[in-house]
Amino acid sequence: MSQSPLVIENLSFQYRTRPEKAIDNISFELKPGELLLIAGSSGCGKTTLARCINGLIPRSYKGERAGKLLLHGRDVSEMKIADVAQTVGTLLQDPERQIVASNVYNEVAFGPENLGLPREEILSRVDAAMKRLRIEHLLERETFNLSGGEKQKVALAGLLSMNPSILLLDEPLASLDPASAHEALEVFRSLADEGKTVVLIEHRVEDAIFAKPDRLLYMEAGQVKYLGSIESLPTAINHREVKLPAEWVVKRVRQAGEMPPRVEPAAQEARGEALVAFENVDFRYSDETPLILQNVNLQINRGDLIAALGPNGAGKSTLVKHAIGLLKPTSGRVLVEGKDTKSMSVAQIAHLLGFVFQSPTHMLFAPTVREELEFGPKNLEMDSLSIPRLVSESLATVNLKGLEEYPPLGLSFGQQKRTTIAAVLAMQSKIMIMDEPTAGQDYSNYTHFMDAMCKPAGGRKSLVAENFAATLFITHDVDLAVTYANRVLLFGDKHIVADGKPEVVLKDFDLLTKYRVRPTSLLRMNLSLLSKTKRFLTAEALAAYA
Amino acid sequence: MLVTWKYRPRDTFIQRLDPRTRFIVLLCTIFALTIPEIWDYRFMIPLFLFSLTQFVLARIEWKEMRRTLFFVFILVFFIIGLNGLLSGRGGPSAALDPNSPIIYQALIPGTVWGITITISKLWFAMTQVLRILAMALPAIAIPYTLDPNIYGTAFKRMGASDKVSFTMDLALRFLPTFSRDLTITVDAQRARGYEVEKLKGGFVEKIRKLAPLIIPVTMQSTVTGEEVIDAMDLRAFDTAPRTWLKELHYAPRDYFMIGLGVVIFLACCILKWGFGIGGFFVPDFFTKFILG
Repeated sequence: MSQSPLVIENLSFQYRTRPEKAIDNISFELKPGELLLIAGSSGCGKTTLARCINGLIPRSYKGERAGKLLLHGRDVSEMKIADVAQTVGTLLQDPERQIVASNVYNEVAFGPENLGLPREEILSRVDAAMKRLRIEHLLERETFNLSGGEKQKVALAGLLSMNPSILLLDEPLASLDPASAHEALEVFRSLADEGKTVVLIEHRVEDAIFAKPDRLLYMEAGQVKYLGSIESLPTAINHREVKLPAEWVVKRVRQAGEMPPRVEPAAQEARGEALVAFENVDFRYSDETPLILQNVNLQINRGDLIAALGPNGAGKSTLVKHAIGLLKPTSGRVLVEGKDTKSMSVAQIAHLLGFVFQSPTHMLFAPTVREELEFGPKNLEMDSLSIPRLVSESLATVNLKGLEEYPPLGLSFGQQKRTTIAAVLAMQSKIMIMDEPTAGQDYSNYTHFMDAMCKPAGGRKSLVAENFAATLFITHDVDLAVTYANRVLLFGDKHIVADGKPEVVLKDFDLLTKYRVRPTSLLRMNLSLLSKTKRFLTAEALAAYA
Repeated sequence: MLVTWKYRPRDTFIQRLDPRTRFIVLLCTIFALTIPEIWDYRFMIPLFLFSLTQFVLARIEWKEMRRTLFFVFILVFFIIGLNGLLSGRGGPSAALDPNSPIIYQALIPGTVWGITITISKLWFAMTQVLRILAMALPAIAIPYTLDPNIYGTAFKRMGASDKVSFTMDLALRFLPTFSRDLTITVDAQRARGYEVEKLKGGFVEKIRKLAPLIIPVTMQSTVTGEEVIDAMDLRAFDTAPRTWLKELHYAPRDYFMIGLGVVIFLACCILKWGFGIGGFFVPDFFTKFILG
């Protein structure tokens, strides 16, 4: 174990089914206690590199591999999977994908049990891992009842109990609320300080630098574009591909001489009529269960583009399910265009309100994209002659023209997400609600997606403004609220604790922190320049004022 | 991620039993009825009462299991019971006795097929329902009263391999996970105006129209399965003989229950094969009761 924990020399890999190399000629070496941040957009090869490091390539994914990958001097392809598992602990993007046992104790013990270790040794390892992450209080809990942050800590404890010298963390912040993400980054840094070699794969560089990475490896098209100190990241690295702190973006835009034009302050728009109204809404699933919503009062008005923020379990999804009629209030009422949802079927409400679920795989089923889009209008018994036009227009709107006869489940994740939006567009609902629209997408993809949806372009209103009277999206990403919303709802303690313009709600840092929403560099910079800008802007646009 | 059933600890006789005892007694009941092919109501009623006693002793509250029981009863009474009543198939050939008195006969409108209900078919349908309930009742109680954390351990300690034990553990948690995914998909499709209760067309057409639910749920299940396999591979599952941390210990009550289960099984085998008792017959009191 005296040799470098990880040495990669001229590593290339090409999947059997792909015409090009997924990674090409990668070389680097890591020392004990080093934290390496690997960044790059989707398809840059970082997941393939991770699979090479944890041994899934060549065991589970077949293809042509060249070069060397040594773990403590031993070639990974010649090691038994049990040895690799004890050397490299892999934390997957979504802890839910990693957890296999039904309670925390079994989950943390799962790896050592698989190694056939003596009982006393397993107990000692479980105890040490739980103490190390300060989660002893979770020991008897059921895994599926844990919060996102707790699940990740339990998944990490499951790795630490295997006592690996290398931790491979594959986009570990993706499913966490901002406060949990920063707690996780603190843990990763401390593990590196204790001598573990940490490989952190993350496209949200702004967040990842909180873990004080020793070096950054930036990949593009399967190759290393940059490997070095994070502070001296060259301007050649595109800030549209990975999420950098706002100050860095501004500096790079100015250095590149791409000074953006100043933006006109947003016009003061009068509040439109109420489309959805919540009146003193309480909700619980049964008499024995606690309240999930308590005294919620809210109006969604014409012209609103609302970002709903708040911690997991605060009731955001429960609230929007009331709007669509999937849930009915225990007390109080929900009105959609003046009608009580208790007297309406979900199908009737769907005429007015389209709901895009978080995961496209929960919605998509049809053999072709065209049939998928026809499904909603047919259910709503819309005029059959107009359905082909609606389908065609919806596909054009989300830029999926030409894919009409493709199977939706065969499309990329981003395309699937756009198909679900098109499916709602084709129903001609007045209001669109999206649950975590950027979940599962990397920074570059989700920025393109949200720009296409919510940003005015070419003198025209945004896609959502043109097609819907109001839009609401649930998100953990404060910067989405800063960049795209004209109204922010902050959830906490089972009700809405703040509701107003982004510039008003998001300036109360104490309130944000109380409800696990962490102010970002973009928010801070926007607030500091608000007297000049009169509105919240993207980091690039702020370069004209900074 | 796999979720678990709505289990909660209860201080009951049934929950104090070792999980292996629960499975062994259940198997004894099933084998006692199926291997020697017991259809005699004099055997069936005590066995049903034995299962019902276990079920009642589990002290599951009505509100917890009313939906499950509703589906089980629909399945048992309307599918299995009705099938037995109308066709007389799925059991002993004596149920199709051509000399049995006919109590109802009619043509299915618009077809050449007729329905003939005889006393032996009616008795067979009732016996079949009782038989299935005797086997199902202890099984229905398991998800509510058996700690999901010891599913795998129970099978391992019963002599199964590591792989089979963990497969059983995952399989028992698959149904509630499937149910969760189905709920999400139903919500997602209802939000697109899809109403299961308003599906039109014949049986095949209705099944075809369930595709918006079946396909997404199948996809989710496949993805979940692949994720579980990757997660287990990355933590060295099935690379060496496994240590199972949880230990199980039999108590005297377990020996008593297992003994009872084995005696029931052996008694059924001996009486059927040794003395020819236990086969299907229609008791005279039933024939008299029906024919007046």
